[in-house]
Amino acid sequence: MTSHPVNCPFAILQVFLVLLAPSQRAAGQTIPVEGIRENTPTVYALTNVRIIQAPGKVVEKGTLVIRDGKVESVGSVTPPADAHVRDLKGMTIYPGLIDSYSDYGLPKAPEPGTDNPQREERKAPEPRGTGYWSSAVMAHQHADELFRPDSKKAKKLRELGFTSALIVPTEGIFKGTSALVNLADGKANEQIVRAKVAHHIALERQRGRETYPGSLMGVIALIRQTLLDAEWYQKAHQAYDEDPKLTRPEFNETLAALQDVITRKTPIAIEASDELDFLRAHNIAEEFSLKLIVRGSGHEYKRLDAVKATQRSIVLPINFPDVPSVQTPEEALQVSLTELRHWDEAPENPKRLHEAGIPIALTSATLKDQETFLTHVRRAVERGLSKDAALAALTIMPARFFGVDKQLGSLGVGKVANFIVTDGDLFDEKTKIRETWIDGKKYEVNPIPEVDPRGGWIVNIADQPEADTIMLDLKGEVDTLKGTITKKKEAKLTKASFSNLRLSFSFTGDSLGYPGVVRMTANVAAQNLIGNGEWADGKTFVWSAKRTAPFTPEPDTSKPKTPEMASFPPVYPHGEFGRPDLPYLPDAVVVKNATIWTCGSNGKIENGDLVVKKGEIVEVGKGLKIPSDALVIDGTGKHVTPGLIDAHSHMAGTGGLNEAGQAISAEVRIGDVIDSDDISIYRALAGGLTTAHVMHGSANPIGGQCQVIKMRWGMPPDGLKFKGAPPTIKFALGENVKQSNWGDRYITRYPQTRMGVEQIMRDEFRAALDYEKAWKKFQKEGSGIPPRRDLELDAILDILRGGRFIHCHSYRQDEILMLMRVAEDFGFKVQVFQHILEGYKVADIMAKHGVGGSSFSDWWAYKFEVYDAIPYNGALMYEQGVVVSFNSDSDELARRMNLEAAKAVKYGGVPEQDALKFVTLNPAKQLKVDHRVGSIEPGKDADFVVWSGNPLSTYSICEQTWIDGRKFFDVEEAHELYEQTQQQRAVLIQKVLKKTKDKGKGEATKSPKRGSGFDHSSLESNLKEDQP
Amino acid sequence: MRRKQILCAQQIVKVVVTVALCILVSTYSAAGSDQIPAKPQDHTIALVGGTIHKVVGPSVEGTIVFDGGKIIDLGANATIPEVAEIIDVSGKHIYPGLISADTYIGLIEIGAVRATRDRTETGDINPNIRAEVAVNPESELIPVARANGITMMVTSPSGGLISGTSAMMMMDGWTWEEMTFKAPAAMYVSWPRMTIITAPWFTRSEEEQKNERDKSLQELKDAFRNARAYMTAKKAEAQEDVPYHDVDMRWEAMIPVLERTVPVVVWATEVQQIQAAVAWAEQENIRIIIGGGYDAWRVADLLKKKNIPVLAGGIHRLPMRRFEAYDESFVLPAKLHDAGIQFAIITRGSPASERNLPYHAAMAAAYGLPKEEALKAITLYPAQIFGVADRIGSLEVGKDATLIVTTGDPLEIINNVEMEFIQGRKIDLTSRHTMLYEKYKEKYRRTKE
Repeated sequence: MTSHPVNCPFAILQVFLVLLAPSQRAAGQTIPVEGIRENTPTVYALTNVRIIQAPGKVVEKGTLVIRDGKVESVGSVTPPADAHVRDLKGMTIYPGLIDSYSDYGLPKAPEPGTDNPQREERKAPEPRGTGYWSSAVMAHQHADELFRPDSKKAKKLRELGFTSALIVPTEGIFKGTSALVNLADGKANEQIVRAKVAHHIALERQRGRETYPGSLMGVIALIRQTLLDAEWYQKAHQAYDEDPKLTRPEFNETLAALQDVITRKTPIAIEASDELDFLRAHNIAEEFSLKLIVRGSGHEYKRLDAVKATQRSIVLPINFPDVPSVQTPEEALQVSLTELRHWDEAPENPKRLHEAGIPIALTSATLKDQETFLTHVRRAVERGLSKDAALAALTIMPARFFGVDKQLGSLGVGKVANFIVTDGDLFDEKTKIRETWIDGKKYEVNPIPEVDPRGGWIVNIADQPEADTIMLDLKGEVDTLKGTITKKKEAKLTKASFSNLRLSFSFTGDSLGYPGVVRMTANVAAQNLIGNGEWADGKTFVWSAKRTAPFTPEPDTSKPKTPEMASFPPVYPHGEFGRPDLPYLPDAVVVKNATIWTCGSNGKIENGDLVVKKGEIVEVGKGLKIPSDALVIDGTGKHVTPGLIDAHSHMAGTGGLNEAGQAISAEVRIGDVIDSDDISIYRALAGGLTTAHVMHGSANPIGGQCQVIKMRWGMPPDGLKFKGAPPTIKFALGENVKQSNWGDRYITRYPQTRMGVEQIMRDEFRAALDYEKAWKKFQKEGSGIPPRRDLELDAILDILRGGRFIHCHSYRQDEILMLMRVAEDFGFKVQVFQHILEGYKVADIMAKHGVGGSSFSDWWAYKFEVYDAIPYNGALMYEQGVVVSFNSDSDELARRMNLEAAKAVKYGGVPEQDALKFVTLNPAKQLKVDHRVGSIEPGKDADFVVWSGNPLSTYSICEQTWIDGRKFFDVEEAHELYEQTQQQRAVLIQKVLKKTKDKGKGEATKSPKRGSGFDHSSLESNLKEDQP
Repeated sequence: MRRKQILCAQQIVKVVVTVALCILVSTYSAAGSDQIPAKPQDHTIALVGGTIHKVVGPSVEGTIVFDGGKIIDLGANATIPEVAEIIDVSGKHIYPGLISADTYIGLIEIGAVRATRDRTETGDINPNIRAEVAVNPESELIPVARANGITMMVTSPSGGLISGTSAMMMMDGWTWEEMTFKAPAAMYVSWPRMTIITAPWFTRSEEEQKNERDKSLQELKDAFRNARAYMTAKKAEAQEDVPYHDVDMRWEAMIPVLERTVPVVVWATEVQQIQAAVAWAEQENIRIIIGGGYDAWRVADLLKKKNIPVLAGGIHRLPMRRFEAYDESFVLPAKLHDAGIQFAIITRGSPASERNLPYHAAMAAAYGLPKEEALKAITLYPAQIFGVADRIGSLEVGKDATLIVTTGDPLEIINNVEMEFIQGRKIDLTSRHTMLYEKYKEKYRRTKE
């Protein structure tokens, strides 16, 4: 990996100097010397020492020679004649550790503060003069420019064994570039090993209700658009350079800074807050074919296979969770199995990743208390990460990740002399780091005593008879000495101490024949000492001693710890109600002798059979032949329906599904933020739901791109997506988009009226047409400044060209009519009106337009525009020929959609079978997936539900839910999974209590997941559930 | 297409009788006009041929006779006075009117419109607040709820620590005074949140949360201590030499609570709240009812021992904790029933959706509660809990003729209420919804022409 010659002249200078002038210290050459030059020789030979040159490459007893900041030789070598030789017997040398993600020496991001983002408006900082339009895109920031060494922090890092760190700017979504720096004291110039190592990205939404992007999907959309803009920038400028007569493209320092990313010279590094973010980061990199390093989260083990499949490298924090708070049974009720299991398993994350062959580098980033770094690393080792792997993750792996492995990460000849001296195995909890060397300069952490006073001494006190043999025995630790003095009888030393070669102690001498407290001091040399003392009566004396025996540490008799490993094997999703594998896919399944509501041309079949093969419905009817290998379900007394479909849901998404920062956010995609671990999926399965349309919120007239999913509980996010479901987009009308219920502060964003809503939509459609024209012109002429790819207009153009379908949140008849007319003017059809509570007033016009209606069954009066909502809405639209569905818009209601269908029977007398279609075939039609789901007909996906009775009866319950021929819910299995969950909680709570008994009060686990109580204020459910 | 015109008054009343006394205005002509409160029962009515679900005891096929607002006879052999208006309800089912044991119909019309919100007074200690005086008889929510069989409601204030008193109201009347059935029905206390939230999105620190909780608990204790001091002082006034004490409206309103004539509904969701509330009630020697009671089954023994009833619900709610079963809230009533705890089922939902109360009860039945218990949980049990079971909640001679005539089990969505009486008054079952329904049916009728 090479540095970019234009953007980082300094880095290249570094590299050249290092490679071409090895005898020079690689720094400070341009700085004039003030005063007298310092020319102390910098040649050291550390001898008699154990040297770990690299993981697995050990010199048991050898010499390390350092000259001018670099390793000159290593192994069984003779110290050069000009070297300063030190005997480091008993010590171990490791390559210096690299902190792979740090904010060392960089300005801190402004504190987010404790303000409630729901209430407090926070304006984003103004963008720089020539920067990107969004102030969250700060790719023009460079850590090497921002870097100011901080000697206090450097010292702290060195004490942890770090000699280098990757420093990453702290602000923004695009945070700018990192630099790999050494942690020595001195000028910044001298510390930078490599500049512009990677461009860093945080998936962090911006605070404030009108700030873009306010959602994770908005963040991802912004990343996508920024990268496209960077590509465009390059092409536009190239075209302009070739033909300066063209319209001059804008200058943009941010996009200029990103050129190395799009040309793949510089990798991107994305900060992931959990394992699903990890997969999102990978998807972004895949989309643009970028080099990617992921700053992980510690949750990767939860989706190990999926993480492994990405083949990405991980910079891994080791912030293992705090001990969950389970001291009282009541407190424990707040702790989920997911949290307990995370506490139990997270320390094995490094091990599992390593053993899966995933390259990892460790970092102290995200640790609450950085000083616990080594403790955490040692815990990871205790929990199975091999020592070599741990060392590699702290040395050679990060050096490789960051393109400095020729200089750093191991102790070969010619490498930078960054290393640490320890008094034992680095991963042993008793081991101390003694010295940290950077660029061949020593920093003492826990100084190695020049003389060890411990051991046996024979004492001579002047004026005392020689015959009285006095023995001094010193033991314990050098800085916390203990010992005895013996003259026939033994007295314990009190207040023994040793520093700067000076020993002092006192003892009560009565038993030895010296009345009172005797105090003695001495200067210690290797083999003898000499000093003064004072008797209790105030008389002084001179004493000396000779060593009789060297110190031999007491053998470690403690038993090697057998680590307690994680209690339970992996399940998907992690924690509650997960399974080790997907439900089994039988070759054939038959439901026999059931009442089958086909929702297709066969109507309702009494005593019917359903035959499924390999996930597909092959036959439905009476008295069917049963394949011999079939799994047979006795359907006697049971009812079978198609899997229920919810045309309007907000489940299974994370990071906010309402990008409210702009009036138009057509570029954001729910598909980017699917949360496959949302427990709502499991709960919805238990109510017979198999498919849901996960929608953007209604905060703006044109929202984002929605995602159809199946409830494949246990699969990763991409596995939930309904492949082949045509793209959809959320539009919205009325009170929400004109911010009627946002509060008095929100009165300026366009539009504020239903009139404005119409105009902004027309304007957007017009703009998309112009955009298309511009592209066509460019493609035809093949020259000029290329048009800029605009993801927002792309989505709008998709609508106009019939490739994307509008699902529009709507209430009042005027706005419903308006949108149909706008669509007609632009030559397309609105696909579905969502909510559409006044659809009954214009049902005839809707039928003529050909738009579907997806309504609440009976919600009303939660805000003014729904005061005319009536439960007969569904029936009236149905009677006029509109394809009607009932939707939930609620994770709770999504569990009983069959009963919503029953309301169509109650209010307006829709025939039962047609009413059931409101939650099966009709939403399938609305989502244009009715060729696959929505009815029980041959050729369709085997998505079906077995009910205990009539699905429209309030007394019936869902017994089995099948998707693609797999049984994703079974009421019996659910009981087992529940029992298993409770049992695992009990086991882990006991484990916690056992731990906390040893360690005192535990702290509460902080869940790393994004909060869900955030930013949903414009989703309808908030208004509907007007609970105290 | 089979089109049932369910709530059209003309069709539902199958009058076989001499005196055609349809006070209902046709929804047709009523479009633009509102529902008119019913006249007091001025003649004997006999519903003949239906299945009478008395709620207490087995159902019978027969006749129910009521006069002066009271049931005077019922059963297979009930005597029908000659003057009675006889209504043939063959094939229909008669149930006591459903009782919403907690709602705020009449206090909030449209949640998002501030001007229509009259449920939450400012301040923490508002025992003197009375819900009934702000119930808007004109609320469009009333006819909507009662059209689905809800004849009585306990409408309650909210907010702060002591929110005020609720009233049991009839779902019909010209004024709130006419509607009021029993007031005060209960005092309302919102138990402070006892758990500490540590989720990263929650901005308040552990310390702040603890302080807030402790402050609230102290405030609550102080209010009761002050009220008791006030009661003692006022009572002492009867003695000579004891001076007059100025009236404190707040503490005055608490005397019936301290004297145990008015119960306190304590909103408490999780274990620690319930435990604390029970201990507190014991100490204060007051009668409490646990409201919500999501975790009540976890402390069933305690509630049973102290004989504390629960307003359980809403049943249609998601599990509160990730590790709980998907049907956690569905099975709560069954668990309370098994533990022998007195309970009623409530929705805790928007008042506009209170009509779905019977389906909350049905969900409990689908998940283990015996069906007849589910019915009782929205009829007899709330009547018992609020001390009015001598008048409503079941169909028995001497009780109010507050009843509904349905096409079947009212807990089944597909069944409908066809007739309704509150204290013998025949209720208009039209509503804003049926009126708009008729209006737009007319639109499409004309489109066809």
